[in-house]
Amino acid sequence: MTKILLIDKLDNCVERWKAAGITVIGPVHRANISVYAAVEHASEFDFGLVLPDRSIKELFFPQTEPMLRYAIKKDTIDTIECMPPSGPRIIFGSRACDASGMAIDDPLFGWDYKDTYWFQRRNESVIVTIACIKADDFCMCTSLNMEPDSTKGSDVLLRPLENGKGWLVEELTDRGQEAFTQIAEFLQESADAPAQTAVVEKKFDLEASVAWLQKPENFDSRFWKEISMRCIGCASCTYLCPTCHCFDIQDEGDTYSGVRRKNWDSCSFALFTMHTSGHNPRSTQSARWRQRIMHKFNYFPGKFSVNSCSGCGRCSRQCPVDMGITETLQEISKLSL
Amino acid sequence: MSEPFEPKIIAFVCTYCTYAGADLAGTSRLKYAPNVRIIRLPCTGRISPMFILKALQKGADGVLVSGCHPGDCHFTHGNYHARRRWMVFRALLDFIGIPPERVKYSWISAAEGVKFAEFINSVTEDIRKLGPFEQYSQLIGDTQAPASL
Amino acid sequence: MSIEQQYQARAKELLSGGAVKMVIGYGKGTTGNRRRPIFISSPDDVGRLVLDDSCIINLSGYLVSEGLLSDEKRVAVFLRPEGIRAINILAAESQLDADQIVIFGFDVNDNELRALKGIHVEEFADVIGSIRENNPGFADKELLEKIEKMTAQERFAFWQEEFAKCIKCYACRQACPMCYCRRCIVDSNQPQWVNTSSHSLGNFEWNIVRAFHLSGRCVECGNCDRACPVNIPLRLINHKMAVEVLGAFDHVAGMSKTQEPVLASFKKDDSETFIL
Repeated sequence: MTKILLIDKLDNCVERWKAAGITVIGPVHRANISVYAAVEHASEFDFGLVLPDRSIKELFFPQTEPMLRYAIKKDTIDTIECMPPSGPRIIFGSRACDASGMAIDDPLFGWDYKDTYWFQRRNESVIVTIACIKADDFCMCTSLNMEPDSTKGSDVLLRPLENGKGWLVEELTDRGQEAFTQIAEFLQESADAPAQTAVVEKKFDLEASVAWLQKPENFDSRFWKEISMRCIGCASCTYLCPTCHCFDIQDEGDTYSGVRRKNWDSCSFALFTMHTSGHNPRSTQSARWRQRIMHKFNYFPGKFSVNSCSGCGRCSRQCPVDMGITETLQEISKLSL
Repeated sequence: MSEPFEPKIIAFVCTYCTYAGADLAGTSRLKYAPNVRIIRLPCTGRISPMFILKALQKGADGVLVSGCHPGDCHFTHGNYHARRRWMVFRALLDFIGIPPERVKYSWISAAEGVKFAEFINSVTEDIRKLGPFEQYSQLIGDTQAPASL
Repeated sequence: MSIEQQYQARAKELLSGGAVKMVIGYGKGTTGNRRRPIFISSPDDVGRLVLDDSCIINLSGYLVSEGLLSDEKRVAVFLRPEGIRAINILAAESQLDADQIVIFGFDVNDNELRALKGIHVEEFADVIGSIRENNPGFADKELLEKIEKMTAQERFAFWQEEFAKCIKCYACRQACPMCYCRRCIVDSNQPQWVNTSSHSLGNFEWNIVRAFHLSGRCVECGNCDRACPVNIPLRLINHKMAVEVLGAFDHVAGMSKTQEPVLASFKKDDSETFIL
């Protein structure tokens, strides 16, 4: 006998959490795309999605946010610091790849400087992940040594029941337990069996690929040019990626006052590395694509002992020219044979 | 009682015709609404649609664009180019939902001081009736840039 | 012999004889109906070329990649009629020499693939001329009508909601063969015309600028729309502007390689009614 949550009871849970001042967020459709967004009622959720078009990242690291406002006076510069809106949140219906993506980025944002924007949101959020029972051609978590029901980064894991009526509840952290204690009366004991988790085919040999990337001579391999010839240099792979975390700091305003904002930035853009002199150390798209792959599978793990990829596959799924991490690592796997 | 709404209007004008027309209005002691800030440019051909967007970005309730009558351009055809650009840009703004009443175009020559004053007055009155450009103000508000601290 | 086989054979011949240095075409993609751009430089690789009704991406943008055509050698490219029009515009705007481009023309009507006869862009005048008469467009006509019937305020709200989704990844720009500027206006910061941030104002401005720069130049290939990861109906704006430009100037973009760009030319009797 284990605890289960029936879908029929979910609206009660949403109401209860909301009554406790918690913002309830989950996979929904908004203006022709699917995103994680706040809901009023459980009926807004769509748990049938393989995963939302946009990743969970933006709940912790939005595409743009103010850091401070400033006014330049005669003798002084006045500043007012901006902090993100505060308050507890439950993200209900994350996927394992999205949740683990956040855990992957934690050390980055907490490394030499602790990013208060990131950690305030992280500390105020409970991530309730639903194990996947279906996957599409682009899912690749297993290639990253993860599973559709991995628990990394999640506070609660729900396993869909075979009968489709609800989920088995596995509380993983104290925060998750606390959130589910609030809705304890809507849970019940049951012996219903969980459904089979999705089978995600292993698409490349991660270890062999990483070993190839680590060989210094491969930095200048012809491979990079060949694989990225069709890359058009947009940032959709990086912006939809749950783990890509680069940002730019921009001042907006006039001569005397303005706002300093933290905006997403992308290594796909030529401007990302452009020097004031006009010199660009990453002058070609192939150098930029190489950087993205090297960063994710060589430099980042070198520093934080974890690959900066959680296998969601959005990069390949959304690429206008059908590129992506999967294809690149597949080709590298072949090279390293 | 709250203050009556005074629209902020930016006018982009060419130096050879409309700006000279504004000068004439001034030297003729014609009175016109003080709501317009004039920005003088060498030619209407130099007035990029970016200027209009910038004016809106900075909180203008209306924008005016004016230059030499067709055939009178100091540079022979700058205003013909401008006319095409305006025709397209106006249609685009309309489709996006920026009311054409907020962005107005005219030909005013150096001899038309009276027309200049009347144009400013009528546009100011029209925009005063429309009220503040609230939808755009909301966009500006989203940037959280301070008007002043 | 299928069109695919014919074109493979032609590609092999051109590459072997050195008539072209590269063939830009379509290859198999990750999933069944996905096609990806491929670049063939060796006659031995022509077997990788695929041609069917899933070949949709307009490949003409690759031709203006930095340095590709600077050696004055020829490059072959698979193009639908929209792509052929794009070559005309790029030539008219002095971005490439049309004589360097060898066209593998094709079109799909009612799911049926057909080859378009010709090698150089001027030989396709009839095919693209018929677009002028009967512009198929890709836009959602129903949605267009709905928007046109709205009040200005409703239209503003409609686009604000759509643009709110924008993340400024610039996939629309990068996917567009007409967006070839080495430095885009949004990447210039002296002055900073458009806010860099992807907040509602910055998104709104970017989308207006994009649409304006494509007015009278867009061939409605749909690359922007398909590339947009947040599904903003970009081609709808482009289509609307194409209709406006046709009505105002009797201009359809990309009809010939010597056609004057609509916003870089004028007629003394261009007629309007709104300039006071």
